Amino acid sequence: MNELERPRNVFLTGVGGHGVLAVSRVIAEAALARGFDVRRSEVHGMSQRGGSVVSQVRYGTRVHSPLIARGAADILVSLEMLEALRHLHALRSDGILLANEQRITPAPVGELTVAYPDDPRGVCEERVGRAIFLPALDIARELGEEKAANMVMLGAYSVLAPEIPETTWLETIATAFRPRFRELNVAAFGTGREVVLRTAGEGITP
Amino acid sequence: APNEKVALEVACGVSLGGGRALCAMKHVGVNVAADPFFSASYSGVGGGLILVSADDPAMHSSQNEQDNRHLARAAKVALLEPSDSQEAMDFVALGFELSERFDTPVMLRVTTRTCHSMSPVELDPNTRYEPVLRPGYERNFRKNVLLPANARARHEAVEERLALLEEFGNSERSINRIEWGDRTIGVITSGIAYQYVREVLPKASVLKLGLTHPLPRQLIREFGAGVDELYVVEELDPFLEEQVRALGLHPAGKEIFPITGELDPDRVAKGFGIEPAGAGIEPVEGSLPLRPPVLCAGCGHRGVFYTLSRMGVAVTGDIGCYTLGSLPPLESMDACLCMGASVGMAQGMEIALRAAGDTRPVVGVIGDSTFVHSGITGLINTVYNGSSGTLLLLDNGTTAMTGHQEHPGTGVTAEGDSAIALDYVAVCHAIGVRRVREADPYDLEALESAIREELAADEPSVIVCRAVCRLVDRTPIADPAELEIECPGCGTCFELGCPALDGSSGQAVIDPAVCSGCALCVQLCPFCGLRIHGHEAVTPESVS
Repeated sequence: MNELERPRNVFLTGVGGHGVLAVSRVIAEAALARGFDVRRSEVHGMSQRGGSVVSQVRYGTRVHSPLIARGAADILVSLEMLEALRHLHALRSDGILLANEQRITPAPVGELTVAYPDDPRGVCEERVGRAIFLPALDIARELGEEKAANMVMLGAYSVLAPEIPETTWLETIATAFRPRFRELNVAAFGTGREVVLRTAGEGITP
Repeated sequence: APNEKVALEVACGVSLGGGRALCAMKHVGVNVAADPFFSASYSGVGGGLILVSADDPAMHSSQNEQDNRHLARAAKVALLEPSDSQEAMDFVALGFELSERFDTPVMLRVTTRTCHSMSPVELDPNTRYEPVLRPGYERNFRKNVLLPANARARHEAVEERLALLEEFGNSERSINRIEWGDRTIGVITSGIAYQYVREVLPKASVLKLGLTHPLPRQLIREFGAGVDELYVVEELDPFLEEQVRALGLHPAGKEIFPITGELDPDRVAKGFGIEPAGAGIEPVEGSLPLRPPVLCAGCGHRGVFYTLSRMGVAVTGDIGCYTLGSLPPLESMDACLCMGASVGMAQGMEIALRAAGDTRPVVGVIGDSTFVHSGITGLINTVYNGSSGTLLLLDNGTTAMTGHQEHPGTGVTAEGDSAIALDYVAVCHAIGVRRVREADPYDLEALESAIREELAADEPSVIVCRAVCRLVDRTPIADPAELEIECPGCGTCFELGCPALDGSSGQAVIDPAVCSGCALCVQLCPFCGLRIHGHEAVTPESVS
């Protein structure tokens, strides 16, 4: 049984079809495998139709609420830049933002259409003291499958979660998906992990 | 099953025959199943019978946020409210036991947040997780045939049963349990609200109710007497609170906790007057682009709603992906009420408009699974009462919005076995609709003329628009559309609201990875600048 002083609050967001829910599921299962009490929440009725998707994972010695209080997330994992902006206030003031630099322009909504922000990264950096940006889509493309961008982000997250060892992540990924995707997922996870270790170093902890 | 009423009736039959049955549906589905539900309460059960009502506080994907605990009380059945995944499982076993022991159907009421969350579950070594049968069915006329004379006696039995259940609820302290702590604050709660209370007030005394109908009044009095200040924390209606007040207790409840939407740790903390522990990051000011769910690229519904939006017709819609046709830029749906309502509402609206001298045509729009659910009966009424309305049946071959479940029209059972597929055209003919035709939803011109012809006819008509859901069959319809000229940015194609078309630069930019080649934009481009290989381009004259 692992110890955490207080529950770890992870807020995840992205766009429908992005694989946000797969990331939150692996985090929840890996935490469970390490003996933590876990709560995971998601609402995904429209997730396949390009809408905003949110999932929350909390783990620790004892956890009650599946929802994170506002401004209490330790880490915000966003698979898309606009969604990072939309949910920045989920983070506590010294929380860490982990964002995929990909931009997905929402479908036009007639008169309600608002332009995509010019510099989402700048806005994030202005507000969040500790922000890590990854070209997860490019990394996944190099590995031969765009859809693995979510696993790149999972690998990046794993560096910020030293309470869960690498072997547990790899075992969880191995059982969480169909065998034919295993090699790809493990490679994407490993690359995401490596990039953060190289650029941000192990010094970053929540 | 095609709808919740039928599903519950099958479950009641299983129970009558001695099997255990669990029938799960959304909160609004219980309205459809209310008829068998209320009467099954009088008959009681053979094998255990559980109705799972999945309520949706905050309406994450529903048309209302009714609190179905009222329905359990109105039907006089036992009501269980789990607060996490472990209890969701344990209460199924408990529900079957209670159902058989007290001869009652049981409502297991869950909410979005208990359903769409995960927490660890341990299997109980003493529970058998397998189907249970009670062999030896015997006919019982007085119990199972609800003639008035029998039903009167059964109502007496129902009241006796509730008294026994209350006694059980008072004494079974693992299901309804007091967690004594700081006695200055006592909180009565149930379901997911319990988790928020524990999170926000870890030291308070809590009465955690699992069996919330009938309420354990003795236990509540005992708890109330043991604390200084009493609170009731529950999602949606003051269901517990009003009954607690009827005992002469004075809890604080809905005056400090919201009656609308779902609770969360913030709303519960605010009710108790607790300030957030630390300030979070300030939200980004100004409006960000919205990202509502949209019809997929290549969705067969898009052409239908685009066409309707240009015809000046009133459209009664229905429940499904195609409800997205009500949103900008398509905005071509006047009403969406409940499953199947499009058909009856079109008929009624036509009567009212004509009486007011309004000649606007009324079109009903319904999906295939919703038509099977409860559109057919509406269509019978339309024909029977001599309406001349037009119904568009959008057949995407699945139940798309809820996750691609099979239904009686797909020819495959919920378990994946092959079945006889309902023939919509034959059904419409059999009902008495003589004008039934098919129209290709990807051919805008043909679709519009089909709708115009049927609206002009002086008798009821049905137009079936077939296009398999893009999430079921992702095979490209054709090569992606391409721009062959410098786009002048007229914005005509943006009116389709297609996610493959990015218009944020003022010019059309097609994402070839998203475009399915449905060619709706190609048909609309007034400059013939959009092309698809093999698709005949429109001429500027034909679109003027």
